[in-house]
Amino acid sequence: MALLEVKGVSKIFTRRKKSPHIVLENMSFTVERGQYVSLLGPSGCGKTTLLTMMGGFSTPDAGEIILAGNKVEKPGPDRGFVFQNYALFPWMTVKENILYSLQVKKLNKQEQNKRLHELLEISHLFGSENKYPVQLSGGMQQRVAVVRALASRPEILLLDEPLGAVDFQMRELLQEELAALVEGAKTTVVMVTHDVNESVYLSDRVIVMSADRGQIVKDVYIDLDRPRDRQSEGFKAYVSELTELVRQAFREKTVESQPGFVQKEVNDNMQTNFTNAYNRMTSRYTSASHGRVAK
Amino acid sequence: MERNGSTISTNTIVKLTPGDIFDKYRGTFYTLVVVTILLIAWYFAANRIQNTLLLPYFQETAREFFTAWFDYRIMSNLALTLRRVFTGFLYAFLIGIPLGLLMGYSQTALQAFSPIMNSVRQVPIMAWVPLSIIWFGLGDGPTVFLIAMSAVFPLVINTIAGVHGIDPNYYNAARSMGASLPNIIRDIVVPGALPSILTGCRLAMGFGWMSVICAEFIATSAGFGFLMVEAQVRLETAQLYALMVMSGLVGFVIDKGFLIIEKKLTSWRFKDGFVGS
Repeated sequence: MALLEVKGVSKIFTRRKKSPHIVLENMSFTVERGQYVSLLGPSGCGKTTLLTMMGGFSTPDAGEIILAGNKVEKPGPDRGFVFQNYALFPWMTVKENILYSLQVKKLNKQEQNKRLHELLEISHLFGSENKYPVQLSGGMQQRVAVVRALASRPEILLLDEPLGAVDFQMRELLQEELAALVEGAKTTVVMVTHDVNESVYLSDRVIVMSADRGQIVKDVYIDLDRPRDRQSEGFKAYVSELTELVRQAFREKTVESQPGFVQKEVNDNMQTNFTNAYNRMTSRYTSASHGRVAK
Repeated sequence: MERNGSTISTNTIVKLTPGDIFDKYRGTFYTLVVVTILLIAWYFAANRIQNTLLLPYFQETAREFFTAWFDYRIMSNLALTLRRVFTGFLYAFLIGIPLGLLMGYSQTALQAFSPIMNSVRQVPIMAWVPLSIIWFGLGDGPTVFLIAMSAVFPLVINTIAGVHGIDPNYYNAARSMGASLPNIIRDIVVPGALPSILTGCRLAMGFGWMSVICAEFIATSAGFGFLMVEAQVRLETAQLYALMVMSGLVGFVIDKGFLIIEKKLTSWRFKDGFVGS
């Protein structure tokens, strides 16, 4: 039996003074244990909505999601969720962040320390366990976010554009780190992304979704040895195939709405970059100015 | 190494030159320059006006100021006033923080309470004086009430703002890690709102300190504010000036104390970013 089953899931957003927007319609697929699956598609195709429902943060308007035989109804430690902005608790150290799920479960100190040791080992974070998130580089924050989600030994890891906010040069490096980390943890993964290269590099299987009601355009299995060679012919072939499919996914939307969608994609990215930069700047500014006032 | 906060110290050992020391205290130095200029201006202005009732001589006020710190009567009244301020602040804290957390966390509570709160807080604090005297008589009662009244609103408002400022993904992350509602309140809501709550405390303390002096003008026959009225009635303007400077200084020191507490409790905000990797 498949580990995760998405059965006829639909999601509709009601909008004030507008017709309701159908994000997903009757979506179905399954994920086997140990698979790394990417949901690839243009912005607005409902891939993040689907992942949010897998996380239990929202519920489908129709259909259901079954994880290891149980219906997903609310968030829980059987699913590790990594947020796009990582959502590390800034007031907790790396150690406290990683152990949060175990501390909530009231596991004894000895077991907590054992687990911490394992997680620090696979994430190469030894020596940073008492630092706070602001003291870490982007790559380290990502690793903390992933092992924090892994701490409770979830059935599945859900990644929401984990590298969406990272600049291009850093991206490939962090993809390699992520691949090694997930391989070490031997876990099942569903990842949302709009980056074709990233999906080919990381996944066993890529599900391409269209902008129109999240229909599955194609389900592509990536049959390449790991670690993957970005320069190889096979890799390039998958990238061009998927790029063409994503382009097709765009086109499935009616012609009039197309320019709007292109515009939205650009705006979304700009918004993310802007928000991140803004948050970084303001957090620095406040800590710096407080420091000055206090002296 | 990180605590010192300079990136230089991690690479090389730098000797502090007098210039560096000056850089560190640059702000203090500028403040002292301005204060000195103002005091000199006062000195000459007082000599020129020659009316000690309006503007007492600088030397006389300075003498009053320094002897005041060793004057038992003034010090015991100051202690009384401080006790009232801290008592009033404590009441405001005990009411304001839970109310603010509730109103910040629950949209229903916000809708239910905020119109009432926003009306009540428009009533000028001095307008509460007659009623507070009717309710509590003279003495500690009305002063403590007035302090609590003026301190509670900045506490509630800043606590609400603090809770609203928490990234919704923190809640989602906590829930996905199995956190229950008490866990979320303890681990997300309170620490997330803490910086803003502490700002609220500083404001509340400032308002409390300001309103206690006012309250003591009217509703009591003891306390620091009462001493000021007394100095005015006795035409001891030099002492009045000295007391006013003192009240400013005491408020300043309390505020500094809160800043130190803020830095201790939210030390994670003051770490240097991006060390290592």
